[in-house]
Amino acid sequence: MALSRRTGRSRFTLILLVLTSITVITLDFRGAGGGVFEDVRERALDLFAPVTDAADSVFDPVGEAWNGVFKYGDLEEENARLKEQLAELQGDRASIEETEQALEELLDQSSLSYARDVPQVSATVISSPLSNFELSFEIDKGRDAGIKEGMTVVAGRGLVGRVVRVSDGRSVVELLTDRDFAVGVRLATSGEVGIAAGGGRDQPMRLSGIDPGVDIRRRELVTTSGLPQSAFPPRIPVGRIEEAVSERGELEQEVLLAPLVDVDQLRFVKVLLWEAPS
Amino acid sequence: MSVPALKVPLLIIGALVIQASLLADLRLFDVSAELMMLLPICAGVLAGPDRGAIVGFASGIALDLLLSTPFGMSALAYTLVGYFAGLVQGTILRAAWWIPVLTAAGASAAGVVVYALVASGVGQSGLINGRLWTIVGVVALFNGVLSAAVLPLVRWALAGGPAPRAFAT
Repeated sequence: MALSRRTGRSRFTLILLVLTSITVITLDFRGAGGGVFEDVRERALDLFAPVTDAADSVFDPVGEAWNGVFKYGDLEEENARLKEQLAELQGDRASIEETEQALEELLDQSSLSYARDVPQVSATVISSPLSNFELSFEIDKGRDAGIKEGMTVVAGRGLVGRVVRVSDGRSVVELLTDRDFAVGVRLATSGEVGIAAGGGRDQPMRLSGIDPGVDIRRRELVTTSGLPQSAFPPRIPVGRIEEAVSERGELEQEVLLAPLVDVDQLRFVKVLLWEAPS
Repeated sequence: MSVPALKVPLLIIGALVIQASLLADLRLFDVSAELMMLLPICAGVLAGPDRGAIVGFASGIALDLLLSTPFGMSALAYTLVGYFAGLVQGTILRAAWWIPVLTAAGASAAGVVVYALVASGVGQSGLINGRLWTIVGVVALFNGVLSAAVLPLVRWALAGGPAPRAFAT
């Protein structure tokens, strides 16, 4: 008798909490209360910022020791790749001073060759994704710096993602590799436009809407389309074509796009203070 | 107000800070531990499905504050995970010290799948793919190791409330 009463109470608790959760999800989807959940999240972001900053300063040595053990190989590969890239850019043997100066210029995020006329805010990436299912990170600038939800985030090579949540001093950036991310793009050679969608961590993006008759070259550059109503400024580099397959009878080509920016290695980004025209 | 009503929120906030500042950077194959999922699992293991569900709801809501996914999604997933962790542990009559740790690892693996299913149910696309199994394995490993430290903390947080079912050491 006591056991069945306990079991019944447990089930009641479960049902109550499940229904409450579903109600909360539904209200969030519908933006109930003028987006009260978004307001709560923004307050939480600001409230946690000093706490996590303090905790970061304590735990950073642990994280660095861990990465030193488990990511040493990745660091070696990245170092070798950067050195090879420097040698290609220079084209000939250079002195150590010229090599150091070229490395500084390569790593300097301030000299973007695109979006020159768009106001920008520099920011530092301050946290890795909190969830294993979310491809995003947090930066140390927010509403106080003029950032708004939906603004474009870039790094030296090109598109990184967009701002999905903003508080006074922090912003959350959804990465272009996230499966919920999509951007209107344009092929550099043909000018064809399509939609590039995130394919997941370490996966290429999928480009849809490309006619089977369009000639696509491997490693062709793809930029943001800049069409009217586009959520992104025009001509921001997004990626290079990795593969394009045109099957007989298909309405569009299957195109894979390799993002230009390695979003897993970012430390510094820029937020473009650009809003889509309404 | 009962003592667990004060200690459990404190534990959840502390766990959230550790998840955000330390565990998010300790990754294996780009996967980190899921401490916020481990809390309701430990609560279920120690105190039954009731407590597991309640702690799951609270820790899920706390995590949802800092995520961009639909608000309430983690709460729903962790409520289910905490409840069923409590049910499973309830079938074990005698517990060696390693059984709760093994249960935590297994429940974490199942919890990742539950989370992916709940997320897919609320419209989050592309989570059920090959990479899911990597996440399952690594989270089970991390959470199994962490449970050795988290179980005593959850026991401390739940102490002082109504007597839990005595089926775990």
